[in-house]
Amino acid sequence: MEVDAIPQQTQEQPAQIDSADLVVGILADLGQDGVLKVCEGFLNLSGSHRIVVLQRDPVGDPAVANSQSAPEGSSLSFLPWSAAGPDPLAAPTQTISIACQSLFAMTDKLGARACCFVASEMENATPQWVCQLLQPLVESDFDLVAPYYAPRMFQGLLNSSIIYPLTRCLYGKRIHNPFGPDVGVSRRLAAKILGANRSNNGGSNQTHPLSLLAPIAACDNLQLCQVHVGARAYPPTDWTNMSSLLAQVLGPIFIEMERSAACWQRTRGSVSVPVHGECQDPSQETSGLDLNRMAETFRLGIRDLQEIWSLVLPPATLFELRKLSRSTADLVNMPDELWARIVYDFALAHRLQTINRDHLLRSMTPLYLAWIVSYARELETAGPARVEQRIEHLALAYEAAKPYLISRWRWPDRFNP
Amino acid sequence: MWDQVKQALNQSTTKFLTELAHLLPGVVALIVALLISCILAWVLAIVVRRLLAGVHFDEQLGRWGFASLKEWSPMNSPTRLVSRTTACLVILSGFLIGIAAFDAESTSLLVRSILAYIPNIVGAMLVLLVGSIVASFLARSVLIGAVNLNLQYARLLSLGVKWLVLVLAVAMALEHLKIAPGIVDLAFGILFGGIVLTLVLAVGLNSRELVSKSLERDAKEPSGEHVEEPFRHV
Repeated sequence: MEVDAIPQQTQEQPAQIDSADLVVGILADLGQDGVLKVCEGFLNLSGSHRIVVLQRDPVGDPAVANSQSAPEGSSLSFLPWSAAGPDPLAAPTQTISIACQSLFAMTDKLGARACCFVASEMENATPQWVCQLLQPLVESDFDLVAPYYAPRMFQGLLNSSIIYPLTRCLYGKRIHNPFGPDVGVSRRLAAKILGANRSNNGGSNQTHPLSLLAPIAACDNLQLCQVHVGARAYPPTDWTNMSSLLAQVLGPIFIEMERSAACWQRTRGSVSVPVHGECQDPSQETSGLDLNRMAETFRLGIRDLQEIWSLVLPPATLFELRKLSRSTADLVNMPDELWARIVYDFALAHRLQTINRDHLLRSMTPLYLAWIVSYARELETAGPARVEQRIEHLALAYEAAKPYLISRWRWPDRFNP
Repeated sequence: MWDQVKQALNQSTTKFLTELAHLLPGVVALIVALLISCILAWVLAIVVRRLLAGVHFDEQLGRWGFASLKEWSPMNSPTRLVSRTTACLVILSGFLIGIAAFDAESTSLLVRSILAYIPNIVGAMLVLLVGSIVASFLARSVLIGAVNLNLQYARLLSLGVKWLVLVLAVAMALEHLKIAPGIVDLAFGILFGGIVLTLVLAVGLNSRELVSKSLERDAKEPSGEHVEEPFRHV
């Protein structure tokens, strides 16, 4: 039992609640009405369930809330969820990680069948969207229900450029948002994730629970599905602080890649994962990105960071990058094949600890910005309908370059083109 | 007159030969001590090199965060650096033992003062080693951070930080070696101040806009309410 992972305040409250069927953790700032709206959606669940809702701020009088939103024959309990401990501002980057851990531990402790983590706000949210994540867990015994957000041209670019294609290529499952963060998880999978993190024993290789979801589910042959949940409202991106974002997101992915190397080296190709719900068409949006500045940062990287990149990237890649930097103004056209190999080389350097890991991941920022410039320029004229096609092309490039990754991973000194 | 000169010359020749005969055993002992220490150093260096190669010392060092030590090592191999340092220390010890064999009061004093000075040398070397590692680490942090902030003078900033730390480390090492402490203090103050002033001018004149934008952004954001959570962006 991972009782340590449950924040103290949350532990004190469920003394009266000794079991539940479903646990729903709401970390998103939905407000009182939003939470009640989500709870209304539970009426759509078939059968009667004892549902425990963990939330950041209490929903007024719990008794009122219970009477208003509990489905007939079901019970609904609210618990305050101080997921980030006594001071939520103390360790902002750990908020979701701690919240996830405590949700999984609570699910395990209460013997619940499944849990659902809600960390995002939706544009035009319907009451059913959280329930949609729960339904496959309850009705069809799935272990992981991943969200399938409506595709956006210029949002969630880190997912489109690295997380989705890399996860798909490594583990062979086409999960479009492998990191959620809004996910439905069975108790079986939650227990496996707690076990994986416990075996790391809080050391430097402690990973993020969300980064473990898809790899563990895929490697252990658990049942996976995706649900169309609509368009996600993304928080504004701080482009000046992109290196921190890269370091904090890519670190756990690369650590997990190292842990599950035996599994992904056996996997070839990829298969689609069943999708429930109705797909939403991508909406037209303007990029709002300062592409000139991004291209300039890339050129600055070529000028000043070559010394670091030469420790990570093979000479052929460096040569191609130098050629790219000579292109005029903001016309940086990075081929998908080159980008895939760069990501693989950084993953390998992370494993070999060629240089300090934080330096390594932060030094990738100019290259990532170059990919964004290249992607944005291509889609600016193509329109939103081409987003999925473009990402599919990138994912195929990752898959085509997988033998390169495997060769370099197995023989890092010998195989260095 | 001629007999007196001849006698004086004979006496001084005899004295010189006697002194030389006195010294000879010491010189022979010094040569023997040096020869033995050289053989011992050679054997020890081979043993140390093989031991370190067995535990993949060079690779491990990179993992422990001392990758920059490679740059300072002969043929980019810290294993060679350690084995050669061990050999040098053994030869130095043999030399000191050989000198002590002269058994003269002055040589004993010399040996004693050299031995007493060794901790200072080791301390200074440690300070220099740590200083260079810290300098490289900070220089790389600053370089990456500055490039990501799109600062055109990223390399200058990084070099400035590197030399700042190196100058500090060298001044501390010289202080440890007790070499002209007054001059070192003064030179360090001037050099350190100069580097800081250069950096302040370079950054201040080039990034007024950046600083004002940053201040404006900070003023707009209510303090403490904005929590950046990377996993919300993915």
